[in-house]
Amino acid sequence: MDTFIQIVASGLTLGAMYAVGTIGLSLVWGALRMLNMAHGVLIAAGGYMAWQAIAGWGLPAPLGLVAAMAAGGLLGAAVYWLAARFMFRNEAFENNIIIVTFGLAIALENGILKVFGGYPLAQPFGLEDGFRLGAVHVPWKNVLVVAVSVATMAAMAWFLARTRMGRAIRATAQNRDAAQLMGVAIGGVFAQVLAIAGALAALSGVLLSSITTLSPQVGFDPMLKAFIICVIAGLGNVMGALYAAFAMGLFEAAVQFFLGVRFALPLMLLLVILALIWRPYGVFGRREVRRL
Amino acid sequence: MSGWRRDLALGAVLLAAFAAVPAFDLPRFWITTMTVFFIWAIVVTQWNLVFGAAGIFSLAQMAIFAVGGYGTAMMGLYLGWSLWLALPLAGLLAVLFGTVVGLACLRLTGAYVALLTLAVAHILFLLIVTDTDCIRYEGTVCRSLTEGWKGLGRYGDYGFRDLFGRDFHLGNYGLALALLALATAFSFVIVRSPMGLAFRALRDNPRYAVSRGLSRFKYQLLVFACSAFFTGLAGSAYAGIYGVIGPNVLQLGVVLFLLSMMVVGGVGRPWGPLVGAALLMLVDEALKEQAFADYRNIGLGLILAAVVILLPQGIAGGLESLGRRLAGGRRGEGTRTETGGDV
Repeated sequence: MDTFIQIVASGLTLGAMYAVGTIGLSLVWGALRMLNMAHGVLIAAGGYMAWQAIAGWGLPAPLGLVAAMAAGGLLGAAVYWLAARFMFRNEAFENNIIIVTFGLAIALENGILKVFGGYPLAQPFGLEDGFRLGAVHVPWKNVLVVAVSVATMAAMAWFLARTRMGRAIRATAQNRDAAQLMGVAIGGVFAQVLAIAGALAALSGVLLSSITTLSPQVGFDPMLKAFIICVIAGLGNVMGALYAAFAMGLFEAAVQFFLGVRFALPLMLLLVILALIWRPYGVFGRREVRRL
Repeated sequence: MSGWRRDLALGAVLLAAFAAVPAFDLPRFWITTMTVFFIWAIVVTQWNLVFGAAGIFSLAQMAIFAVGGYGTAMMGLYLGWSLWLALPLAGLLAVLFGTVVGLACLRLTGAYVALLTLAVAHILFLLIVTDTDCIRYEGTVCRSLTEGWKGLGRYGDYGFRDLFGRDFHLGNYGLALALLALATAFSFVIVRSPMGLAFRALRDNPRYAVSRGLSRFKYQLLVFACSAFFTGLAGSAYAGIYGVIGPNVLQLGVVLFLLSMMVVGGVGRPWGPLVGAALLMLVDEALKEQAFADYRNIGLGLILAAVVILLPQGIAGGLESLGRRLAGGRRGEGTRTETGGDV
């Protein structure tokens, strides 16, 4: 029973973290058909911004979170203004944008390395201590992670379903040409989507580094996991991504417990390979009609 | 078919020029740097078959390279085989591995292929880095199968030291150059063979190509297998020349560096990979100077992004369309990046 509680507790924490990181990636794919390889470095940038704001400038922790999300949002919008804007009408966009964001990611990652150094930092955002559940120690910061991410997901669901901006984003994702004909300024929508995804990535970076530590490469593994989750759900399927995020968190916690930490990511990657071979457009995805 | 004659002449001139280099008694540093250039150029020319000719955005190329390298090291270390024997076997091993990767992404397109192949490379990387189970002991020192971060070493060499004495690096240079010449010739033959036409047909209009009776299954496996052979040989030669092979070849930075070579040179352009590899090696050496050392990766990343945005056909593609414009007869090819060069 304790084993079970242990796995569920850490699985839910991981899943909550992945969910926040994955929604952004999924939105970007849905709206732009764009795989954002800069996602990982945005995660790291969020973590560092919160560190700078809280430990460097002495701001209170919630403001640090806001600062991180603002920085992530700006960087995400910068990806649109510097790169995607020139390219999304091009036929080879799907492949080219991967290369471009890859290049920007490496540049930004090394920029962070240059400013903050490669030595791991402790994230000041988070809570001390914890409580006991049976024989299991549950840290408060894990509870905080789950609470913040559930609140964020609720806010995102409301935003997408109820606001004008959210409706424009959904319309663009469903049919770019029709949305444009109905007067949606798709350039603006793309910038908004990338900014939102950047802010969410930064948020997940702060949550992630509050549990582990902060280093310039901290975002790479979470980015791969977010990709895995997106692929399992079907790229662009936001709700499917949520379920898949929690399923993957629980799966990872179970593998870590029974087989050891070493095999968690390789097994997840293997799972995604099998999933892709079995259902190429995601477990929850429907076969896409691709324009050839 | 004037394209054939031009390429053959250009190839022969380049080969003769590179073969003449050792006669000039250059410092050893330049010879070893050019050896590295040859090895990377092999990988990029073969990658250009998958990504350029067939339009499949695979990021597994360095994983295939690592399979060749680690295969060679293990054959030398655990089986005690000569590295000359291991060289072709590593190529075959890489073909096997490449075919499996091709099989795995058979039903995928575009970004999904990139993700899956990235996942394959990262699995290899993680399994090597975290490999700590002892399989043998040297005295009391525990040795694991791949020796983790440290990588494998002391599995023999090509015997150039006995043959050339202190000029052994010239042997390495010659080996890498010979492999590059073969790999380049191989990629030209493949691209212009009926098989190459099939790759391009499936890239440019898969639905039409399939309806004309081309088997996607067959040609996708073929292109992965073809491009894997010399990539595996390059990995094997890398392991043989340096005497160590570690997980660092699987790191994202290396993939980025090689991808930049291909993109800067021109994806799908026959001479693109060589142009790009030469140019990026030069930029890299310049950025390694003390003053810029910290900015090396920042510079590479920005160059890569800028080239894709500003010059999507790469330098070779840019030169080709410039030459065409100068020649007067502008063919209305538009700005598509995937046109496979003239045939």
